[in-house]
Amino acid sequence: MGRVLASHKIDVRPVFYAGRYANRVRDAGLPGDYTVLDEWKVMPLALAGVLDEATVLVVLDMLSFPFEALDGNQWDVPLVVLLPTQLEPEVLDGMFGSPLFSRLGFFDRVATTDARLWDHLSRKYRWTASQYLWVEAVEPGAAALEIQSRLEKEDEVPTLFGGEGYEAIRYWKERGDALARTVPHRAICSVHHDLGFNKAMHRRQAAALEPQFAAARGVRADDVPFDVLEVGTGIGRWAATFDPLTDRFTGLDVSEGMVDAARTNFPEASFEHLGDDLLFPYEDESFDLVFTATVLHHNSTSAKRTLLSEMWRVTKPGGRLTFLEDFVAGAQSESSTVYPMSVLDFVDLVLETAAGRVTLEHVESIRYPQDDLARAGLISLAKLGTPRKW
Amino acid sequence: MPEDDFYTPTDVDALRMENELLAFEVSFLKARLSGTGKLLGSSHNSLSRVSHMEEAEQDMILLLRRLGSSPLAPLLRWRGNFRTLEERYLNTPEGQGSAERVAHLEAAEKDLVLLLQRLVRPPFGPLFRRRKSIRTLEERYL
Repeated sequence: MGRVLASHKIDVRPVFYAGRYANRVRDAGLPGDYTVLDEWKVMPLALAGVLDEATVLVVLDMLSFPFEALDGNQWDVPLVVLLPTQLEPEVLDGMFGSPLFSRLGFFDRVATTDARLWDHLSRKYRWTASQYLWVEAVEPGAAALEIQSRLEKEDEVPTLFGGEGYEAIRYWKERGDALARTVPHRAICSVHHDLGFNKAMHRRQAAALEPQFAAARGVRADDVPFDVLEVGTGIGRWAATFDPLTDRFTGLDVSEGMVDAARTNFPEASFEHLGDDLLFPYEDESFDLVFTATVLHHNSTSAKRTLLSEMWRVTKPGGRLTFLEDFVAGAQSESSTVYPMSVLDFVDLVLETAAGRVTLEHVESIRYPQDDLARAGLISLAKLGTPRKW
Repeated sequence: MPEDDFYTPTDVDALRMENELLAFEVSFLKARLSGTGKLLGSSHNSLSRVSHMEEAEQDMILLLRRLGSSPLAPLLRWRGNFRTLEERYLNTPEGQGSAERVAHLEAAEKDLVLLLQRLVRPPFGPLFRRRKSIRTLEERYL
């Protein structure tokens, strides 16, 4: 069994917006050279300059922060918001529901001293357990120190797993188990980069995937569930995209730690552990949509073949198979976990696995905001055939 | 153009793979556009294809109405797929753009083929085949 070989310090530059409490936060003595903004420093131009350099924006005074003024790219900076304690949940919801709460995603966190307030808001906005940052201190200065200390610890993350050499299943098991226990929200996308990089990647992926999810769902009778399977689900970030009232989301992952974290994050969805043989524990033709997001490119060709074959088997005829994968090799490094495969080779592999019984529904190249080249591609296929069962 | 405006490739392999990805996307878009263009164009073949698909949509609507009012309707509606077809073709208002309309017609044709394939299978296949209309549809689409 391999072990965590090293850890890697990511360059973290949180910016604290303290607003009316700026003096108290400065007096609290944050260690290091942190930027603390008061309520005069959030004019659009000044804020844009600060956010360009920030890896996390910690908002300690929500009531005076102009969330409405943030533009598209500025939302890529992960947020930590400290909920004010002096307002009733309904009042807080009325004030911040649209400009903030509904926009908080998987990479943003909510800090609060009030578990009842968290329960109320997290149910409504489907925030997950990994987004919850419980703090003891009510006073903004002390809360800032607590949050800063948590961020500092979280960013000392392990980055090398699986011992010498790269073996996909062992690597992703160890990585998942280690990160799910310590920093679950980091166990997504690229562990070598800061959360802002990953949040921007997620936004671009969501823009490509969500229309395909809607196309796969199509028009359905209200009481006919839409069965979805994600292979390599991690801590379940895509489950948030599906409505638990109409969609039945299932996730598979080789890491039991990840599966446990996903179950905590989305109790209404179903998550299962995927064994080393990579065979899915489901009957043929069980799902309307089967998809992966940045999973297959971490696997060898033989593992890809097994996964594709299983994905095709469990998809209902007429259902969709969707792949969002890297099809452009990045710069190789010792820590690289990508098996480069061009899009044409991948399509050949899919056609071979499905014996040609698929039609191409959508192709889209994806360039992430930080990249010079288009790196990823989305391919959506429809499975041909007649359903064996009604 | 100043020299430093040019991008200097450092990884030929990555560029080749990116080129393949972009070319594949372009060829997909071209195929889709030309397909839609042909279907919406004025040539005789395109018009006949569109009219065939519209006929399939009409047949689908009539078949669903007939099945939905038959004694077997409760049994059929017990299956989610049948309810989905009813929702898609009987209960959803039209009002689509041209591209969406073509996609809808293509889907109707595919769904009709799948529905007929299911209907003519046992155990109810022989029963349905006694109806001339089902045999006609079978002849026309299967």
